[in-house]
Amino acid sequence: MRYDAIVIGGGHNGLTCAAYLAKAGRKTLVLERRHVLGGAAVTEEVFPGYKFSVCSYVVSLLRPEIIRDLDLPAHGLELLPLDGTLTPMLNGDYLWRMNDHNKSRREIARHSRKDADAYDDYGMAMVEMGRFAKPILSMTPPDPMSLDPRGLLDLLSVGKRFRGMRYHDKVNQVQLLTMSAVDFLDQWFETDALKATMSASGIIGTFLGVRSPGTAYVLLHHYMGEIDGAFRSWGLSRGGTGAVSNAIAGAARRFGAEIRTEAPVAHILMKNGRATGVALENGDEIQADIVVSSVDPRLTFERFMNTKDLPDDFVQGVKRYKYRGSSGKVNLALDALPDFTCLPGPGEHLRGAISISPSVDYMERAYDEAKHGAFSSRPYIDIVIPTLSDASLAPPGKHVMSCFVQYAPYHLKPGDMWDDARREAFGDAVIDAIAVHAPNIRNIIRHRQVLTPLDIERTFGLSEGNIFQGELSLEQLFFLRPVPGWAQYATPIDKLYMCGSATHPGGGIMGAPGKNAAEKILKDAKR
Amino acid sequence: MSATLVIGGGVNGLVCATLLARAGRRVTLLEQRDAVGGAAITRELTTGFRVPAAAHDVGPLRADVARDLNLNTHGLEFVPREAWMTALDGHGHAVTLWHDVAKTRASLAQFSQADADRWPAFVDARAKLGRVVASILPHTPPSIDSPAPRELWRLLQTARQFRALGAADGYRLLRWGPMPVADLVAEHVETPSVAAALAADGVFGAMLGPWSAGSGLLFLLHAANQCAGDPRLVWPRGGPGALTAALVRAAEQAGVTIRTGARVAEVLSDNTGTRGVRLADGTTVDGTTIVSGIDPKTTYALCDPMTLPSEVRWRARNYRTAGTLAKVNLALSALPVVPGADREQLATRIRMAADVDAMERAFDHVKYGAFSPSPWLEALIPSLGDPSLAPPGAHVMSIYAQYAPHTLREGTWETARAPFLAAVLETLDRFMPGVRSLIVEAEVLTPADLEREWGMAGGHIHHGELALDQLFTMRPLLNWSQYRTPVKGLWLCSAGTHPGLGLTGGSGANAAREILARG
Repeated sequence: MRYDAIVIGGGHNGLTCAAYLAKAGRKTLVLERRHVLGGAAVTEEVFPGYKFSVCSYVVSLLRPEIIRDLDLPAHGLELLPLDGTLTPMLNGDYLWRMNDHNKSRREIARHSRKDADAYDDYGMAMVEMGRFAKPILSMTPPDPMSLDPRGLLDLLSVGKRFRGMRYHDKVNQVQLLTMSAVDFLDQWFETDALKATMSASGIIGTFLGVRSPGTAYVLLHHYMGEIDGAFRSWGLSRGGTGAVSNAIAGAARRFGAEIRTEAPVAHILMKNGRATGVALENGDEIQADIVVSSVDPRLTFERFMNTKDLPDDFVQGVKRYKYRGSSGKVNLALDALPDFTCLPGPGEHLRGAISISPSVDYMERAYDEAKHGAFSSRPYIDIVIPTLSDASLAPPGKHVMSCFVQYAPYHLKPGDMWDDARREAFGDAVIDAIAVHAPNIRNIIRHRQVLTPLDIERTFGLSEGNIFQGELSLEQLFFLRPVPGWAQYATPIDKLYMCGSATHPGGGIMGAPGKNAAEKILKDAKR
Repeated sequence: MSATLVIGGGVNGLVCATLLARAGRRVTLLEQRDAVGGAAITRELTTGFRVPAAAHDVGPLRADVARDLNLNTHGLEFVPREAWMTALDGHGHAVTLWHDVAKTRASLAQFSQADADRWPAFVDARAKLGRVVASILPHTPPSIDSPAPRELWRLLQTARQFRALGAADGYRLLRWGPMPVADLVAEHVETPSVAAALAADGVFGAMLGPWSAGSGLLFLLHAANQCAGDPRLVWPRGGPGALTAALVRAAEQAGVTIRTGARVAEVLSDNTGTRGVRLADGTTVDGTTIVSGIDPKTTYALCDPMTLPSEVRWRARNYRTAGTLAKVNLALSALPVVPGADREQLATRIRMAADVDAMERAFDHVKYGAFSPSPWLEALIPSLGDPSLAPPGAHVMSIYAQYAPHTLREGTWETARAPFLAAVLETLDRFMPGVRSLIVEAEVLTPADLEREWGMAGGHIHHGELALDQLFTMRPLLNWSQYRTPVKGLWLCSAGTHPGLGLTGGSGANAAREILARG
């Protein structure tokens, strides 16, 4: 059996790439190592009766054109709005922002009238920023060192659009690329909890603190989802994030792609300097015209290939590429709902995100601990209780709660390692940090799953547990992602491509790398 | 002919005033202190001991500035320094990085053969990238909205220079800028104290730790500065004050009137533009062109807010100027003993940190408004090369200590000054055992002191954070980076404009050219 294309890895980007290739008539095979599809966008019944979006847990960045092109709703995708963010504060009060701008404004005014006014300006500024950045997401990054006129024209068009922006928007745009999230927000706001919660978007998946330059960009990366109006704002997928992957897989199959699970790849086959297929761990060899890897560069080039077959400077670039996972995940099966002292009882406030980010200092101290090689004793936690929107995930009356936690550094200080004891200690720190605001949490936990970056690496194949397949830091973005000179989904090996989050525009359940890569592959084939 | 007023007699103000007067302008320079020189002054700490009060190295002066002002004919003479820096690790090891590559390799090889082997390629890459960045320093940043043909041409030249680097170095330049300097250095150097000493270039004077993204850019800017002048010529004989003395002679010869003790309280303007300034004593000085050699934030605050567009008021207010660098000056009865280092190795800037992590830990405190209990230190013992500064056998030491915030969150500098000095000296003693027993006199200048005494906002030695969003076409503000301001007739020439960084005279010279062409 011979295929036009083999996609390594059945995560959402691999599946997206396969779906587009199949749609274009290519005979495509997807190979997934695990028994479930989805990579980090996966739903699993971790405890009997309790289904978790084990890794990534919210959906917002998924490109609308992908939903359309692949007709994902027909394959079971249903997005449920996730309304609002509740931040319990240290003084016993709370800050509860909602999708309804006016409600949020009134709530912010309770804390600072000045901030309420600034919230309007800020919201409008971010809409403009998103409008500028969006076309860049679907662009194959031009190579500034090549003379390819098309790439240079792309760059020029970005420059031209930049020039066309209003004064403040121009400044904001540059600031977003370079400033720290807190410095950026400081220009508008004074309420500590508001800045802390907003700046949290700037650190997700990075090994940076809210005061580190460069985090404002990640803020925008996460803001992108919020700007297209309510439906595509932050949401949950019915059935968990695995349902997103399954919908894309359904579309891919419908276009004729073949998908195999429990088919771990051992290495990429090469002949005369070009990729010719893959060998599976069970010894099977499968031939294909092209091979597309959706796994990260470390696995692709250092595990599935012999680096001797690659140019030295490329290998150096692959080795230099930074992962440095910084986040963990705690999934809880609950007998009842948590009860927050700032806003007691059940209610709408539990249906959105609950952010444990009471102050900028709290966030920064959490980072300082991680920077010096320990998990945060008082971490930042982003909590979602999906059963409030989708009761099918747990037995009647019970709940599942997803806690995204930062920081849990992959690299601990010399002498320390992630073992079972430390994993549980990390889990305890998370529960303690939640209990500060919702003391009943300790009494309602039926089951607890704790994932450290090492667990994430082992289970999901994300090197160093980085949820974005490599840091979203400025020197690893756009035409520098993942390796300078190789940002256009191609690799130094003929017929071998990359399509994972390690390629432009990066991570999150966005699908853009998979789609961009498929387009690049199809374009190359025409040459 | 109407008068031109220059506010502030720092290096940039003096350079700009002189160049304007040379071109025939009638220039009066107004300095708030009782002597000009800004950060470039030498003063007596105690009888017989003279110290570089603020900056302890100058420049290197940009080659074209030194030449245009004929500073050598005005008595400026440098004591050349062959060592670039010496790194101490606190455990009796000293590594000196010389301007001479072979000598440095030998020095490094005692600690790491790998570092010695990689050194030539690293300094070569640094210099190559530095030269490309240096090529934009002498020019006025282009306008984004309507670049003039001349500006486009220059951009094209820079683009060509960039492409001439080739792919490997081109990408390196793109990567280095936004990187944390810790990562940048770690790719080339493994000896911990040397990595820390090099990384210091990336955080010097900034609200950044070595792990902060963007610190790579500062490292590059220092490299560029070294390419734009002679990196060995950073100590004028007699100290930084000797540079000021030469600049004053050049200014006076060009016909500049210098008034000290004249603090500007307000820039006066009407709808046709600037009319003059009002001094703190209430008197006014007329002038239709006003050039500010003080930092942009303070300058904008001197203007009638009604003359500034609201976006400029807002952006100027948000211009970041949080100083983190303090200065400690010591008079010493003898040369301190530094294990592992000979006299020659001590005759340069001595950077003290066991590793990058120690610097990062020093940085952690300033984020929460506290000073580092164990600060990062750079010391200079200028009396080693310039014995005139201290009595025979005695020495002076000038120390940059990071990190100290401008505003303490708890307590005030009044009460914190002594504990901070103790922290500095305790740290210093770890690298130079027994140094405390040699101290004859000591003074501390915190960022709050720098602001009060010298007037720079936030006590920021660079007149504003050197971050990607406050550089080049955005220094100090987008659309107002060409030394102009929204107030017609008011210009900027301080380190808060492109290119800033270091006492190079670059901003002053660039501004003078722009004022003469368009003002």
